[in-house]
Amino acid sequence: MVDVGLIILRLVVAIVIAYAVVFVAALVNILFERRGLAVMQDRLGPNRTGPQGILQSVADSFKMMGKEDFAPAAADKIVFTLAPILVMVGAVAVQVVIPYTKGFTPQDLNVGIIYIVAITSFTVFSILLAGWASHNKYSLVGALRSAAQMVSYEVPMILGLLVVAMAVGSLSLNAVVEAQSDYRWNIFFLPLTFLIYFVASIAELNRGPFDLPESESELVAGYGTEYSGMRFGMFFLNEYAGMTIMSMITVTLFLGGWQGPFADRLVIGGVALIPIFWFLVKTYVMVFALVWIRLSVPRLQVDQLMDFAWKILIPLGLANILVSAAVMLWVPNWKGGMLVVQWILLLVFVGSFDTILRWNLRRRRKRVAVLG
Amino acid sequence: MPSVFDTPAPDAALQLALDRVKRSEEEGRGSDMEGLAFNQVVVNMGPQHPSTHGVLRLVVTLDGELIKDVIPVIGYLHRCKEKLAERRTYYQYIPIVDRTEYLASMNCEWGYVLTVEKLAGIEPTRRVEFIRVIMAELMRIASHQVAVGTFTADLSPLGTAMAFYTFRDRELILDLLEEASGARMMFNYFRFGGVRYDLPDGWVEKCHALMGKMPKLIDEYEALVKNNAVFLSRCLGKGVITQEDVAEYGITGPNARASGVAYDLRRTRPYSVYPELDFRVCLAEHGDVYDRYQVRIDEMRESVKIVLQCLDMLPDGPVQVGSLRAPYVITPPPGECYVGQENPRGEYGTYIVSDGSRYPYRLKYRDPCFCNLQIFPKLLRGTKIADAVAISGSMDMVLGGIDR
Repeated sequence: MVDVGLIILRLVVAIVIAYAVVFVAALVNILFERRGLAVMQDRLGPNRTGPQGILQSVADSFKMMGKEDFAPAAADKIVFTLAPILVMVGAVAVQVVIPYTKGFTPQDLNVGIIYIVAITSFTVFSILLAGWASHNKYSLVGALRSAAQMVSYEVPMILGLLVVAMAVGSLSLNAVVEAQSDYRWNIFFLPLTFLIYFVASIAELNRGPFDLPESESELVAGYGTEYSGMRFGMFFLNEYAGMTIMSMITVTLFLGGWQGPFADRLVIGGVALIPIFWFLVKTYVMVFALVWIRLSVPRLQVDQLMDFAWKILIPLGLANILVSAAVMLWVPNWKGGMLVVQWILLLVFVGSFDTILRWNLRRRRKRVAVLG
Repeated sequence: MPSVFDTPAPDAALQLALDRVKRSEEEGRGSDMEGLAFNQVVVNMGPQHPSTHGVLRLVVTLDGELIKDVIPVIGYLHRCKEKLAERRTYYQYIPIVDRTEYLASMNCEWGYVLTVEKLAGIEPTRRVEFIRVIMAELMRIASHQVAVGTFTADLSPLGTAMAFYTFRDRELILDLLEEASGARMMFNYFRFGGVRYDLPDGWVEKCHALMGKMPKLIDEYEALVKNNAVFLSRCLGKGVITQEDVAEYGITGPNARASGVAYDLRRTRPYSVYPELDFRVCLAEHGDVYDRYQVRIDEMRESVKIVLQCLDMLPDGPVQVGSLRAPYVITPPPGECYVGQENPRGEYGTYIVSDGSRYPYRLKYRDPCFCNLQIFPKLLRGTKIADAVAISGSMDMVLGGIDR
């Protein structure tokens, strides 16, 4: 009986944490990004509401809740309402498998990595539903772009995760974290895999250079054009919560999860507290990376986006799997082998990609005039 | 009974686009697949759209992401600028000229004042000529800063950073202009045969200091995007204007010079003291989006050079012709006159017919944006939506000039 009670308690705590993480993360990230972008753009950003503007997102969300609940007359009302409700499912449910700290994983599934892939792609449903139900051409184009993009980028993401699973030998996220103890983080000996996974995960988030579904300069607001008030707020919160959730997954898979100094001190009820701090620090380093990338890379075009997924990332991912498998199979000290092979591949790819791309672009340009 | 939720009846432009779609379907050339699929959608881009820079409306026919047809619709900012001239004296009309191409007000004023001076036979003093060149070139830098900033902002948040940098530095120029004229945007500074105020004390030094650091600031803009492969892939080889297009559509300004057409009125039909100044007409070879951006960046540097030269050559003397502080009423002899003047966006022509009275009989503008806009359907057809945004951003439209 005690066991059952404990399990139920754990689940309740996990669900509360999951929702708390989503909302708090969203509110924090919105401010984080606004202030971060402001610093990079040589301006101040929101700093009036509360000390240093920390209450800005709270004020904004109260404002959104106070707005009229409006749906266009031509919209499909049921689907239109359903979409913003469903959009949170991915961000909340994926936390079931995330090891927050030593001794606290809500549910340690033995297929954790596959579960992540399955659940994170849930967002595309609500975006498609929103775009279709809005009865607006911009929304529809945005939704279709989003569907194409997410389907395309899921493939390289899975190809990246496959290498992690091969290296760790398990699909359980706890096992992944355990395998990275003593600072043997995956990012050190799987850098190319990290790159593939990270690029694909940004595309999954509809962020940064891959924010085509809602590219504001082309499609007004993409799938969210007809949404206002708290319905829009749900999409917005999900997008920003997604930054943290995706960073948590990245940290767990590649940056050693909660591992860090003094991990064994301060253990209460089998739950270590200090690793939570390391987990958060690493997560926010990744969130900052996302903000930084968003600012420094211009948006891709739809065809370029597809080219990049199918012609570059997927072949690279497949090659990566083949090479990694060969190293694991035939090299006795395969971790050392991976270290060498993956870094060489990464440096070759990063070093040549940009140069070749620019050279190719300049080569294909045609002259209309010849100047002396 | 009609309700507010009914789809409004399509207006003329929308109807035209719909008719074209219908006709193309009837003729069996609906889509990419040799007329097998018909899925063309007509979308209004604008007048309220984040990337049309004003109230330009493009009725776009889309086939998926592909643009099949574009009909530009203008007139949402029409304020009767030309008609207003007929009920005002020449002097009273000067502030209204500011409001045509509002990002280059100084240059527009100059175009109008030049025309009236030619019509009435007024010769400005030499100091005035130099002050005018300085003001016009400062305005050109400010205008190109807006053009480059908003163009890159259309491409991405990176460009938004660029826009913040350019607007930050534009403020410095506007501060200078404000100090000289008293206003930041609608200057009302030029007078027939002169300018309204002489330069205040210390202005020349301040301008000198700003122009000294301006090349560094321009380097900063360039460094942001120059070697960014994604930026290049959005710009290189997109929206190419050939030299034939330039001739056929009457494209002028940086858009023409980006295609290698050396048409710069400061050199080809010189006015004021430009023949005495040393500057280069910036040209490019490819005529694509990137070259239009590059030519604007180069022109900023050239303008800095011109301003520095003018500051060094600035002579002493009066800033008004004759004893009058300002000639409130002038009556040019009957006749007509056209003067083209190089605005940041191209040839800004002012055509005035005088009947010998205090009011112009007729005033007509040849606005560079209006002429440059005509090539839009040709440029945008067959491109993607994202390309369309980049191309229309690179053309640098100002609706105040187009609609007048």
